[in-house]
Amino acid sequence: MSDRALGAACALASVAMAAAAHDYTAAFSYEPLGPRAFPMLLAVGLGLSGLWLMFRPTLGAQAFKGVPWKPTLWCAGAILVYAALFQALGFVLATALMTVPVGMAFGGTWRQTLGGGAALGLVLFLLFDKLLDVVLPVGPLTAWLGGF
Amino acid sequence: MDVLKHLMEGFGVAFSPVNLVIAALGSFIGTIVGLLPGLGPINGVAILMPLAFAMKLPPETSLILLAAVYIGCEYGGRISSILLNVPGDAGAIMTALDGYPMARQGMGGVALSISAWSSFVGSLIATLGIVLLAPVLARWALSFGPAEYFALMCFAFACIAGLMGDAPVKAGVAAMIGLAMSCVGLDSNSGVYRFTGGDIHLSDGIQFVVVVIGVFSISEILLMLQEHHSSAGIITQTGRKLFNLREMAATWWGTVRSSVLGFVVGVLPGAGATIASAMAYSMEKRMTDREGTFGKGDIRGVAAPEAANNASATGSFVPMLTLGIPGSGTTAVMVGALSLYNITPGPALFTQQPTLVWGLIASLFLANAMLLVMNIPMVGLFTRILRVPNWFLVPSILAVSSVGVYAVHATTFDLMLMVVLGFAAYLLRKQGVPMAPLILGFVLGDLMEQNLRRALSISNGDAGILVGSPISIGLWLSGGLMLLLPVVMRLASRRRRAMGAAIAAVGK
Repeated sequence: MSDRALGAACALASVAMAAAAHDYTAAFSYEPLGPRAFPMLLAVGLGLSGLWLMFRPTLGAQAFKGVPWKPTLWCAGAILVYAALFQALGFVLATALMTVPVGMAFGGTWRQTLGGGAALGLVLFLLFDKLLDVVLPVGPLTAWLGGF
Repeated sequence: MDVLKHLMEGFGVAFSPVNLVIAALGSFIGTIVGLLPGLGPINGVAILMPLAFAMKLPPETSLILLAAVYIGCEYGGRISSILLNVPGDAGAIMTALDGYPMARQGMGGVALSISAWSSFVGSLIATLGIVLLAPVLARWALSFGPAEYFALMCFAFACIAGLMGDAPVKAGVAAMIGLAMSCVGLDSNSGVYRFTGGDIHLSDGIQFVVVVIGVFSISEILLMLQEHHSSAGIITQTGRKLFNLREMAATWWGTVRSSVLGFVVGVLPGAGATIASAMAYSMEKRMTDREGTFGKGDIRGVAAPEAANNASATGSFVPMLTLGIPGSGTTAVMVGALSLYNITPGPALFTQQPTLVWGLIASLFLANAMLLVMNIPMVGLFTRILRVPNWFLVPSILAVSSVGVYAVHATTFDLMLMVVLGFAAYLLRKQGVPMAPLILGFVLGDLMEQNLRRALSISNGDAGILVGSPISIGLWLSGGLMLLLPVVMRLASRRRRAMGAAIAAVGK
């Protein structure tokens, strides 16, 4: 991707914004500027900036050069799964599971990350949930973690 | 002597046991966050903000925590610059230029202590600057109407776009995205739902915490994959721990000059510690570098940028407290933190919430003193933290960030939105779109729209009111100048280069 692609994405987004904002009218209005004007203004601004980037790009295809795609995708996937299962699995389990792929993407071995992840989940849970009163989900471990 | 009285009251707030402990804790955490490469003040403040709120800290206490973290980061960044040649945060880039060569010559201890000292002087001068300037500015800003406010916010965006350097259009794109994101949800004036896609989770708007963590924590993790540094090259032989009087005298005026410069840059909305320290370094180089030792381990080149980045971080509280317009990405996050408590910063803050404002200012003095004490003798402890491996550090950042987001509403939806925003921010950042204007836009969006609509309601729809007062005309003109500045400078440097080439050609 380059500036041209970014510009095209901005231009498309601005069209979508303008299309969505077109219908924003108040049932009855007591002010000259309704709910539509500001989003429209932004859509125009975004569209103009997008066109500028499309026709006067400064950055070519090198924007993504050197990205280590494999670990990046692994990491992104793990983050997504972590967010999705955070509540269902509970904080401790989800964190221990997440640490393995994310930690390995950053150069840990699977033994290190598994042990580290379990410790991390447990310590942070005790710190936040028990000590600092920030309530966290417990998930299937309720029987062990709910009691103390 | 109104100011002194208020300041004394502020110290009353700051010296309460809870606030003292929190300031010390914030300073400590801030130094750690600052010294870790990849994590800067904005990440630290973003991660701690929802936790402070979830722990039900009172507003002044959480603001003290965040401010201490912010100033602490500016202290911490220098440690990895000097010992590892990798800046711990963006404001410490210039410190590495002379700090690392000094450390290689066995003067690491001196570089660390003199930079802690100049950081202290920088923050101190800037805090004094806040005390003198902020009340005056707040009183003046009380006369601002909606039209002036709208112009002021446009000026802030112009500053951030103009000073962001190479990519003003991309800064504009970021600002527009941020502003558009602030429109999501119920429009309170008309009852219309905007950009919700019919989703009930979005009817309240996008949570500030979700945006900040997504943009600064999730995307940072993905960026760190590409740029992760090992602490293998860390210099352990630091030699003499403390600078001597001669070294202090050699750096003194440079430190003071750079502090004043940093403060002024910090007060301007948009320009942050990075620009301030770069300006201070080149100023000192031009003024004092007679022997050409800058860049080879000159102690003056360590002191100047450190004084400037601390002064600028502290100075950026001025527009935030007096105008409600944050002066940096980090103070933008703090404005968002205050909005969690339903407090809108602005000129009225000084009269309506004096304990909050003056407690914060007094805490800046205190936290700064604590940081100096922490950073000279305890520097060994902090360098040990540099050895925590990334495979453990990064999952911890992710876990703590998610706790912060989850703490606000306890929904999976917020976590998923955080991840999606984080991925989008990663793609944008990869293409050189800066995130500070986005966060500024998100924070200011609602105020900006409200002020625009109010101004036009006053004038019955006549847009002329936007340029109807000398203040707003002045703001529009200065905003235009800010946007033109980089263009003019680029033209000037091109002409100079062309002239240089012409002279060289004639010389042949």
